[in-house]
Amino acid sequence: MTTAVLESLGYRSMTGPRPSSDLDALLRQVARGDADAFAALYDHTRSRVYGLVARVLRDSGYSEETTQEIYLEVWRNAEAYDSAKGSALSWLLTMAHRRAVDRVRSEQAAGQRESRYGAATVERSSDVVAESAISADERRRVAACLDGLTDTQRQCVEMAYYGGLTYAEVSQRLSANLSTIKSRMRDALRGLRNCLGAP
Amino acid sequence: MTGPTEFDLLELATPYALNAISDAERADIDRQVAVASTAVATAFGDEVRAVRETMAVVSAATATDPPARLRGAVLAAVHPGKARHSRWRTTLLAAAAAIAIGLAAFGAGIALRPTPKPTMAEQIMAAPDVRTVSGDVAGGTATVMFSRDMNAGVLVMNNVPPPAQGTVYQMWLVGDKGPPQSAGTMNTAAVTPSTTHMFNDLKHSSVLAFTVEPGNGSPQPTGQIFAKLSLT
Repeated sequence: MTTAVLESLGYRSMTGPRPSSDLDALLRQVARGDADAFAALYDHTRSRVYGLVARVLRDSGYSEETTQEIYLEVWRNAEAYDSAKGSALSWLLTMAHRRAVDRVRSEQAAGQRESRYGAATVERSSDVVAESAISADERRRVAACLDGLTDTQRQCVEMAYYGGLTYAEVSQRLSANLSTIKSRMRDALRGLRNCLGAP
Repeated sequence: MTGPTEFDLLELATPYALNAISDAERADIDRQVAVASTAVATAFGDEVRAVRETMAVVSAATATDPPARLRGAVLAAVHPGKARHSRWRTTLLAAAAAIAIGLAAFGAGIALRPTPKPTMAEQIMAAPDVRTVSGDVAGGTATVMFSRDMNAGVLVMNNVPPPAQGTVYQMWLVGDKGPPQSAGTMNTAAVTPSTTHMFNDLKHSSVLAFTVEPGNGSPQPTGQIFAKLSLT
């Protein structure tokens, strides 16, 4: 069941067989300029992309703008996706996350936004209903894996991945040394990966 | 063997994959990975990939539907009618480095924000028969994208020094038959570090030639051809 869920997400086993996913196929069609495939790709991924961006930016206006930029980049650069290097979903979300982080950092650099992580916050996943492609079961399972991390591990992931802080900034905020933070991040990701059933 | 430096590098794979690094660190890490042993580079790549795949799955936890209006805005930005031809894309990518600055100056409308009404430059780039040629012009670079079907071309010049005051650069379309046809002029003020220029009426011309002409240009070339690009 776990494997099936991961495969349905376009997740590829890194050692086992690599089932091609619908998203990979859609992305290849988008690379050929297929606007219908682009619309389908948007519909399949919008809640993950927008949700991630909104979590990082915490502003619906910025999040909408950034999401638009992300999909425009998908349209323009879909041919840059190389399925040998990872799943379509991870390609898309990596790019989306990078854009959101760049945006939040530039806003912070411009002093337009207060630092939101004076005190480390660990927020529950949003209860806002997402697209049907993501089942409540799956959300619960991922939430359970996040819960399975230690508080310090989860805090590192929250501050860096969702807060847009660099690991060096995380280390300053937590008054912990750099290698401790790097270890926590690595352990957090290994914990998540094991819990999610990834190899 | 994994030395201390390589160990440090591998320790950065997770922050790197989470974008929890500064741009300067990213550039530094990219450089180090590029020169690392195959084993270390592979280990680094595997870790980055594993983290990204994991976070892709984790994205279920933050999934939130965007406002419905966003769909229209996103889809409106792409042109179903604007068939994207693999050859022109490849050609365009090859020219991208040379014309990057020019495109920015020319207006984001070309590549960044397709507009509902494609500009002439956009139409040229989207034409199935679009071709790109580049060459040196007075120490800078000139790139021409042209389409015989559209009977038009775009000239992008990067880092070409402006002509002397009182003279212009004049471009000429040269073919087997008939005298050279002027494809326009650029005066001192018009030539910036990145300059774009549209021209049309390619007809059967096979060369775009450049001369320096006095005043506002000449009906026929009087100066020596100092640069030319082959339109074949």
